[in-house]
Amino acid sequence: MILKKRKIVSSIALFICFLTACWGIFWLTFIIIDVLRHGITAINPELFLKDPAPPGEAGGGLRNAFIGHLLITVFATLIGVPVGVLGGTFLAEYGRKYNISKVISTLADIMVSVPAIIIGAFIYAIIVKPLGHFSGWAGAVALGIIMIPTVLRTTENMLSLIPWTLREAAFALGAPYYKVIIQVVYRGAATGILTGIILAIARVTGEAAPLLFTAFNNNYFSLDMSQPIASLTVTIFQYAMGPYEEWHAQAWGAALMITVFILLATITGRLLIKRRYKD
Amino acid sequence: MRKQRGKITDLVFLAITAITAFSVIAISIGIFIVLFKESLPAINKFGFAGFIFSNEWDPVKELFGAAPALIGTLITSFFSLLLAVPIALGIAIFITEIAPSFLKGIIGTAIELLAAIPSIIYGMWGLFTLAPIMSQDIEPFLQSTIGKLPLIGKLFEGTPLGVDLFTASIILSIMIIPFTASIARDSFNLTPSVLKESAYAIGATKWEVVKDVVLPYSKLGVLGGVGLSLGRALGETMAVAFVLGNLNQIPTSLFDAAATVTVKLANEFTEADKDIYLSSLYYLALLLFIMSFTILAIAKLFLLKAKRQ
Amino acid sequence: MISEIEVKNLNFYYTGGVQILKNINMTVYKSQVTALIGPSGCGKTTLLRCFNRMHDLYAGNRYDGEIIFQGTNILSKDTDLIELRSKIGMVFQKPTPFPMSIFENIAYGLKLRGIKNRGELKSRVEKALQDAALWEEVKDKLNTNAFGLSGGQQQRLCIARALAVEPEIILFDEPTSALDPISTGKIEELIISLKGRLTIIIVTHNMQQAARISDWTGFMMLGELIEYDKTDKIFTVPSNKLTEDYITGRFG
Repeated sequence: MILKKRKIVSSIALFICFLTACWGIFWLTFIIIDVLRHGITAINPELFLKDPAPPGEAGGGLRNAFIGHLLITVFATLIGVPVGVLGGTFLAEYGRKYNISKVISTLADIMVSVPAIIIGAFIYAIIVKPLGHFSGWAGAVALGIIMIPTVLRTTENMLSLIPWTLREAAFALGAPYYKVIIQVVYRGAATGILTGIILAIARVTGEAAPLLFTAFNNNYFSLDMSQPIASLTVTIFQYAMGPYEEWHAQAWGAALMITVFILLATITGRLLIKRRYKD
Repeated sequence: MRKQRGKITDLVFLAITAITAFSVIAISIGIFIVLFKESLPAINKFGFAGFIFSNEWDPVKELFGAAPALIGTLITSFFSLLLAVPIALGIAIFITEIAPSFLKGIIGTAIELLAAIPSIIYGMWGLFTLAPIMSQDIEPFLQSTIGKLPLIGKLFEGTPLGVDLFTASIILSIMIIPFTASIARDSFNLTPSVLKESAYAIGATKWEVVKDVVLPYSKLGVLGGVGLSLGRALGETMAVAFVLGNLNQIPTSLFDAAATVTVKLANEFTEADKDIYLSSLYYLALLLFIMSFTILAIAKLFLLKAKRQ
Repeated sequence: MISEIEVKNLNFYYTGGVQILKNINMTVYKSQVTALIGPSGCGKTTLLRCFNRMHDLYAGNRYDGEIIFQGTNILSKDTDLIELRSKIGMVFQKPTPFPMSIFENIAYGLKLRGIKNRGELKSRVEKALQDAALWEEVKDKLNTNAFGLSGGQQQRLCIARALAVEPEIILFDEPTSALDPISTGKIEELIISLKGRLTIIIVTHNMQQAARISDWTGFMMLGELIEYDKTDKIFTVPSNKLTEDYITGRFG
């Protein structure tokens, strides 16, 4: 009797767990289908090839935002990746035996989750205010800073996975430590580090908050990183909150492109790491 | 000669890596100092209690208080956590203990993708898709059911516009489910299988094993995961910026529009035309930074302790 | 002597069809101690885990043949595993106290069976602890966390936990391999004292231990049960050359 009751309770509880998993899947499909449904109608050559039309007028595109976003992300990557990879190298190699390395790791883990908008406010104070105007550079630095902890932690983890005996074998041949790191350790951990970089790029691509008061926005096409520059995410925010149907449609189009890019990058990263570490 | 050069290059490489690693410390401390310095005028003018307990937000009279934004941040964070944690635990249990291996992969990936979708997409989708559904169907339904109850009913008063604390919290909960779930899953996986086996060996059902062995054993890790999620919820900007209305007022119902610290920053930072206005916004940012940093640090300590166990 | 378990033509396969147990036939006698010995990887633990169907927790495992217990084949699909496992307890290689107090650890199995009465719980917990020769050491700290006990005490706690639900059989999987000699001695005494009350099957890598505490011994190698007989016979006049080589230390 009791046994039967316990089994029923167990089945019910497990079924509820199953339902929670369905709940998660439900929202994922709901959001993706919705973005796809609205976004696909807004995708046309004009979206990529034309700059914005004056507010409320039909036509126009988001060429400025696509290019601006690309520029900001590329420069952010050029800042965030070297700092992150080298910093992670210190933690996993030279600094391995010092306590300060553990402190830095923990701090980096915390910084990964610190609100992105705070980074924006920080950059506003140290770059935008002294220069007197918003700029693409400020946006790139903000996103670069956001990338650093993620890349640093992945690099550290991936280097730590390389067996210590491999380094010893290289030392035994008389190689100095930097050569061992660059020629042996990096080579072994390359896929893992690359995955970390891809995921970090995927993450910053979707950031809007830290760009709001660094790169700001620009309705015109510009390649000048020392001036305000448009980005897809800030444009989405501005257009979606704006009053025009045309704007909403373009915001959906931009949202679709960003979502597709990020999901593809995430899946690529996962597949890479799975193939490398399948055992 | 060659050996000498190798040694020097090694030192240079060491120095470069060390500097980059220490940049993390420099940035963290730099953020704190800069935020503090920028908020000094507001700190001097309003003090601590005078700032956080004041409802005033009047750029014309140059009077600023943080109470509505702080309360908005706390309500959305805790309410979304309340909705997200049970679901996330259920998902983690499903993935680790119940699902056959092919489903494990599928659901695991789905959860990771849900985590990868940027918050601006959640926010926009919330504004255009979820908010109308909320205002037309779900919120009126809640008002006609739970809203009729004494006491709790008060939380569901007002015109259901869809742009309110309730919608924002729902979106936030969907966003933090994947974080909580994946940390909970990792913690559950730390439970030694022999411990689970010994519970099965005295005739426990699967649910009893989960409830009495897995959950208590991974308590620290789960708490750490909840803390990390809380830290994220506190600082989330774009997902709530679309659907909260940025109304500087202390909410009395979940169906009220409100503001959070992040929403205020996002909407007003570039409009702050006076120094004290901007400084007050920095003061808000400083408070947010301290709150989320503290919570994240505590959560991180829990996770470290859980791993060492 | 009454038979408790009949193993008939038992084969066992891991995921991918790897055969681990080959055509095992044996009878386990009631209220006796049966030891399974053999070199590591011989399948003795795998065999032990067939008796409470522990292998069912992991996908891809397959049984073939019969294990008759109380008149039914426990390998059949209709077997209620929860009921089976409450009749056949198990103690593992390493102590596995649950993350709860000492009292709750023992009371756990009883509570699962629906015993809620505080007085009854108390007396049965005390009895189990006394049977496991642990009562004197823990009676003043029943509400403290079980992780605070020493390794040997934790293992006796696990035995008490198994005893509390009054099983017919207890399976021991190398219960002393993680313990010091003194704690090992206490566990061995305890097993001997339980003899006659319930059936015990113990896997051990320690031949002297098998000789000291068991009535019956099975010698296994490469998934086969090479020889199964009374313990004194196995250790004095084994009939199989392989058994003789093993117990005289020529391999393993």
